[in-house]
Amino acid sequence: MSSDSLLKDISGGERDVLLYLLDHEGLVPAGRIAEDSGAGVERVVSVLNSLSQKGIVELETIERKEYVLSKEGEEYCEKGLPEMRLLETLHRLGGRAPMDEVVGAAGLTGQARGIAIGWAKRNGWVAVGREEGKAMLFALTDSADSEVAVVLRAVRDGEAVDDCLDGALQQAIERGLVLVRTQKEFVARLKDDMRGWVRELGHEESGVIVDLTPELLMSGRWRGRTFKRYNMEIQPAFASYGKKHPYAEFNDWLREILIGLGFTEWYGPYVETEFWNNDSLFVPQDHVAREVQNQFRVARPYDHGLIPDREYYQAVKAVHEHGGDTGSTGWQSTYSKEVATRLCLRSHTTPVSMRYLYEHRTSPQKMFIIDRNFRAESLSASHAQEFNQCEGIIMDRGLTLRDLLGYLQEICRRVGIKKTKAKPGQFPFTEPSVEVFAKHETLGWIEVAPGGIFRPEVTRPLGITDTVLAWGIGSGRLYMAAMDISDIRELYTRDLNWLRRSYFVR
Amino acid sequence: MIVECDISELNRLIGRELTLERLEDVLFLLKAEIDRVQDDTLDIEINPDRQDMLSVEGIARAVRAFLRIQPGLIDYPVTTSDRKVIVRRGLSKIRPYIACSAVLGVGTSDELIKQYMRLQEALTTTHGRNRRKASIGLYVLDDIEFPVVYRPARPESIRFVPLGHDRVMDGTTILREHDKGIEFGHIIERHSKWPVLMDSQGAVLSLPPIINSNDLGRITPETRNIFVEVTGTHMPTVDQTLNIMTTALAERGGRIESVTTVHPDGTEYVRPDLTPQVRHLSTEEACALTGLELTDAEVAECFRRMGHGASVAASGQVEVRVPAYRMDIMHTVDLIEDMAMGYGFDRITPTMPSTMTAGRPRPVTRLKNKVRDLMVGLGYQEVLSYIMCSPEMMNDKMGRQAPLIETGNPKSREYSVLRNAILPVLIDFAAQNQHAEYPQKVYEVGDVVYPDKDAETRSRQVPSVAALTVANRVNVTGLITELGFVMRNLGLEGRFTLKAVTSPSFVHGRCAAVYVDGTEMGIVGEVAPEVLEAFGLARPAMGFELELPPDGRW
Repeated sequence: MSSDSLLKDISGGERDVLLYLLDHEGLVPAGRIAEDSGAGVERVVSVLNSLSQKGIVELETIERKEYVLSKEGEEYCEKGLPEMRLLETLHRLGGRAPMDEVVGAAGLTGQARGIAIGWAKRNGWVAVGREEGKAMLFALTDSADSEVAVVLRAVRDGEAVDDCLDGALQQAIERGLVLVRTQKEFVARLKDDMRGWVRELGHEESGVIVDLTPELLMSGRWRGRTFKRYNMEIQPAFASYGKKHPYAEFNDWLREILIGLGFTEWYGPYVETEFWNNDSLFVPQDHVAREVQNQFRVARPYDHGLIPDREYYQAVKAVHEHGGDTGSTGWQSTYSKEVATRLCLRSHTTPVSMRYLYEHRTSPQKMFIIDRNFRAESLSASHAQEFNQCEGIIMDRGLTLRDLLGYLQEICRRVGIKKTKAKPGQFPFTEPSVEVFAKHETLGWIEVAPGGIFRPEVTRPLGITDTVLAWGIGSGRLYMAAMDISDIRELYTRDLNWLRRSYFVR
Repeated sequence: MIVECDISELNRLIGRELTLERLEDVLFLLKAEIDRVQDDTLDIEINPDRQDMLSVEGIARAVRAFLRIQPGLIDYPVTTSDRKVIVRRGLSKIRPYIACSAVLGVGTSDELIKQYMRLQEALTTTHGRNRRKASIGLYVLDDIEFPVVYRPARPESIRFVPLGHDRVMDGTTILREHDKGIEFGHIIERHSKWPVLMDSQGAVLSLPPIINSNDLGRITPETRNIFVEVTGTHMPTVDQTLNIMTTALAERGGRIESVTTVHPDGTEYVRPDLTPQVRHLSTEEACALTGLELTDAEVAECFRRMGHGASVAASGQVEVRVPAYRMDIMHTVDLIEDMAMGYGFDRITPTMPSTMTAGRPRPVTRLKNKVRDLMVGLGYQEVLSYIMCSPEMMNDKMGRQAPLIETGNPKSREYSVLRNAILPVLIDFAAQNQHAEYPQKVYEVGDVVYPDKDAETRSRQVPSVAALTVANRVNVTGLITELGFVMRNLGLEGRFTLKAVTSPSFVHGRCAAVYVDGTEMGIVGEVAPEVLEAFGLARPAMGFELELPPDGRW
């Protein structure tokens, strides 16, 4: 393994340990590294293991003896060794005194009595004799030092016991004052041939760049230095930023397609007169679609609107009553201005097509609208009081039913519908009328694109004699299919979490 | 409208065993759809223009012609009879028109009677506009003493046992107590006299359009001869309805006999009038509209497949005889559609015309999109909401009283008015999302609507943008910075100003009106705690709303 690729593999933790070993020659116990660096011993051992596998350090296990005081040792350490206390008491009593008196005054009872006298004799501090039938103690020395006491203090304080005190240590062990435990320990040292390399690593370490600052850039001091590495393969955290609504983006996409096909976007008001919403489209004034259970009426503050163009109004009226000059029979009933001026919420976007034709009566024309409509429905999973429609018209001389089918097919193709079939349809304002069905993977054949040729009763009152093809596309249905939505209420969802996680991609 | 058919019966009437698949294809091309298949029963959806297909026999008739089993016009001979219906004075404002026929030797069974009733129901619901415009009555012909009299009568003087009951009721009681009286009473209720149909012996046939008599108006499996009566307010509808009902009975083996209606002014109408409507069609015109290239003879053949009589009248001219049960042929274009259907929509190949136009979005769409981009840049999530909402949300909870457009027939109060601002909708949105992570920044670009007395539709619709920030702490100065970012990037530097105002919707001292070129266009501020409380929103919020110019140009 080359040094370079090795370098890539060195983690921050490994680098710290290597630099420590560089400063501490010889076998260094893991415990010491841990203590000095503030890391846990286990962590350090794991790092050393890894470095050993990489061949940078030598790792060994050694057995180390550890000394601790026994309970007795602790007691002697605090109160003094019994033989010392015996000697001190004997001196206080004048250097010669009955044994029982000395032992009593020294507070040595039970086992301690024998231990004290035995060790004092072995050390040559006292002699035992008899006077007047009593056992007597005679001091043989003025003062006494015990190496055992020194050993006990050193063990208590965790200090290493001097080699010259080895005899005293062995005695303390024999007397059961000091206990011996054997401890396994990891010790490590840098391999000699790696020392130079680690030294280089140390130089780099001191110059690693965490944040690139303007100062670093200006001074050029970033040159030749490395940057702190980050984990670039983490799973990104979920976060919410600003973005558009998927349904709005879907409609943006439709708009692009239609503009690309040469259609001009148009508009009309949500609040309409029935004149535009129905009459201009030759919907008979008593049609069920106009009834209160189907169409919203506007009641307040105004319930009727205005007729801005008398001439057009008269032409529409004539067409309804008897067909006017169109050759139609008309509806053969009286036409009501009260109904015509009644205000409603538009129930489809087709009145917008009429408003467009009203202002653009010469061929060629292509217009579209994607906007909101209203139907008197209760909100449920399958019905909503509001929905978007996408529809438009094409006006030109000599256009045919086949052309209409061509446009419907083309629009379907551009929104991703490959397989279509057409059936004759029925709408009050178009004749012939068609309904284009699309093959859906799971839903089977679904109706997606209604269309037709505007009736003469619709176009002639505007003086239009050219063919006007009208088409629509079930955009809400397409969107629901694209987003795998089955509840129509989710088009205008109130769920922020859903919005934050949803997207429309095409 | 759904027509329920038994498959084997339908096939028997068609005269050929069609597979379900084939039947579905044929019906599809005839504008009908199989809505549901359950065991041997089909639910077939019929479009409202084809009232003549609202019965099994009507559907079978159309399929027979289309499959060339029985193409062309079907002749239903009408034998003249001296049966008369006398119309008395006083009905012109109530229910002036009546047309009747007699059908003899009709097949009847419990099942067939059920089907006649269904056709009757379907016809009067759609074409008859829920019996208002036209209603149908069927009677046992042999029990009636002619002439029948159709006259107005005082409600209390009309006394008979209504269908399905066993006691005599007067008109008022029927409207108050009988199911049908309750359902359809409103059609005649406001008149002081109601229409009644009686025979020459004074026996009541019915109280049109409410209910038949149980004595004369109850068809049983023993009934062979039926008297058909249609009354209504629109003569063409009444005649068409009679034609459809009568020919449907004739399809079940009945022989049609005429009934003459005598009006108070002495005019007489012999019905049913099954004379086909004769129309001449130019082959060129038909081809021009459809894009099909057909000869005169081919055009005629298309029509025969649609049950019309058709022949080449002259070069380039086809004479079409439209059956009297078709009520949807008002104009040449209606014939042309039939021709295209007769040709077969499955055979029509689409073409792509070369109409050249340059497309473009509305200027205001571009402006709205610009604003949307800026709002996204500011970190806001786009929201789309309903235009309809509640007056509580718009005004009460906001502590404002801005004029609203209200609907007269809302389905719920929650969706009863048009929004005149978007900000309240966003506050409501935030109140429904208190489980979602904060801070929440949402915006919507859409239209708002105000009443406007002088406008054509008494309303003014204006594009608008609203933004709302909800967090544990909000700082209105930061919001003003964001608003400034939007305004400046709309090219309004130097043209907009903020003027501190007080508003019940906003915290006192933390609200400003936004002016563009001296005109007030919006408002910005920290939402008042009273408003937060009213919406049940437990965190501080701040927001702005800015109207955009409807023409897209500032």
